[in-house]
Amino acid sequence: MSDRILDLPISPEVARSLRLGDMVYLRGEAVVTVGYPTHLRLAACIDKGEPPPVPFSGKTFLHLGIMSEEHQGAVKALYVNPTTSTRFNAFMPKIISHLGLTVVAGKGGLDETNVAIMRERGCVYLSMVGGGAPLLTDGITEVIDVGWTDLIAQFRLTRIRLDMFGPLTVAIDAHGNSRYAELAENARAKLPDIMEMLAQRRARS
Amino acid sequence: MAVTYELMKETARQLYERSLKGIPENSKIALAGALETETSEAAQKTLRFMLASAKRAEEKSTFVCSDAGFPVYFVKIGTKVQFGGDLKRAIVDAFDDLVETIQPPILKFVTNPLTGERSYRGKDMPHVTWDLISDADYIDITCSPKALGSGRWAALEVFSYPTLEEIERYILEVSIRAGSQHCPPVVIGVGIGGSFDHAAKLAKLQTLRPFGTPNPEPILAAMEERLTEAINATGFGPMGTGGDTTALGVHIDYASGHGFTPVAVCFNCWINRRTRARIYNSGEVEIVE
Repeated sequence: MSDRILDLPISPEVARSLRLGDMVYLRGEAVVTVGYPTHLRLAACIDKGEPPPVPFSGKTFLHLGIMSEEHQGAVKALYVNPTTSTRFNAFMPKIISHLGLTVVAGKGGLDETNVAIMRERGCVYLSMVGGGAPLLTDGITEVIDVGWTDLIAQFRLTRIRLDMFGPLTVAIDAHGNSRYAELAENARAKLPDIMEMLAQRRARS
Repeated sequence: MAVTYELMKETARQLYERSLKGIPENSKIALAGALETETSEAAQKTLRFMLASAKRAEEKSTFVCSDAGFPVYFVKIGTKVQFGGDLKRAIVDAFDDLVETIQPPILKFVTNPLTGERSYRGKDMPHVTWDLISDADYIDITCSPKALGSGRWAALEVFSYPTLEEIERYILEVSIRAGSQHCPPVVIGVGIGGSFDHAAKLAKLQTLRPFGTPNPEPILAAMEERLTEAINATGFGPMGTGGDTTALGVHIDYASGHGFTPVAVCFNCWINRRTRARIYNSGEVEIVE
C-alpha cells in the first residue's frame, strides 16, 4: 500500500496506475458540491452544450460540502465534509465523460454504470472519511471562485485549491474494480455461513 | 423553584452545539477498542483518523461533520417538575438561537420533502419526543441531531409470528443493504414488536444506548452479542472500504404486541451524536453526557 500525492489534474494514465486500497493526498484544483439540484443543473448544462459556471481545470470533482466566509475580501473555507455519492449515480456518467474527469471523490461509492465509465475514461473514485471535517479542512488552501450562487451554500459549485488533502482511499479504480461492489458481493456470499453461525449460537444460548 | 423557559432554551441549545463538536466518551472507548481488534491495516488507519478528527473538533471547537442534521430531542419530564414557562416553545427557540449564534455557522439542512426546499425551519421541527418520569424533580433531555448519511438506511418490516432466525436475517439484510453507505462503524438500533410506530421509536432509542451497557433481557443480550459478531463478519469495515469493524454495537429492545410483529432497524454513524443533561427544579443543570 502506498501513500501518494496526486498533483491535479492527473492524466488518465496516472489514474490507471492507482490500485484499490492505495491511500493518496490531493494537491491542486477541484470543484466541490453536495447538491442534488446542482447535479441536475450540471447535467442540463452539458446537454445544452454550455460550459459549467466554474472550470473543472483540475479534472477533479468532490462530493464535498463546504462552508466558507468572506473575510477582508478573501473567501476562506471554515469547514468541509463529504456526502454520499450514490445519490448522484444517475448524473455521474455524463459528468465524468463530458468534463473528462480523472478523479471523483465522496463517500459510499458509485454504481456499476459509473465503474464502467471510469474504466473507459481513466478515472478513479476516492473515499473520504465522513466525519473527518476538522482534518480534511486543513487541506483546503483557497476558495478560488463560486458558481450558481443562487443555490444554498453547500449546493453551489465551488472551485477550491487543495494541498495535502486527505488521506483518501482508492475505492474504485480505473480498471473496473470497485471495493464497494466487491464488499457487497462478499457480504451476500457470506450470508449463508453467517446465518449458520447465528443458528449455532442460538442453539447454545 | 421551577424549570424556567430560559434555562430550558439554553440547555437545549448547548446540547445541540456539544453534539456537533465532539463524540460521546463512550464512543471514543468503543472506537479505541475496535482499533485493537481490527486486523486490516487500512481500516486501522481510518479508525485512527476518526479518533483524531473527534479530538481535533473538541480542541478547535469546530464540527466533526459538516452535516449538522436536523434537531431531534428526547425529553422526559419528572412528575415533580415545576414549570416556570413555555418549555415546549423553549426547544423551538433554542434551535433558532443556535442558528443565529453558533460559530462556525451551520448550513441549512431542514428539508421540505415535497419541494426539496432547504431552510433552518420547517414543519414539525424540532422533532421532540415527550415522556414522563415518575417522582423525579428534573427534566432529562437527550439531543441527537439526525443527518442524511445514516438516516437514509433505516427500515421496518411487519412480520407475522416471526422466529428469531427470521428477525436476525432481516436485521442482517438491512445492514447489508446499507453496506458502505452509513459511515460505519455504526450503532444499530432494533425495535421488535408493539406497533409500527412503537417499534420504530424503540429502535431509535436503542441507538442512544451507550456501548457496553447490558441489555436486561437475557434473550436480547445474547442476540445483541451474536448479531454484532455477524454484522462485523460481513466485512464492510470503517467507512465501508473493508475491515472487521462495521458495527460498534447492536442494541435491541422489544415490546409486547399482537400476532403481527414489526421489526425496525436504524443506524447512527460512527460520530454517534448524543448529548444529555438534566435540569432540576433547583435550577441546577447536570451534564449526563
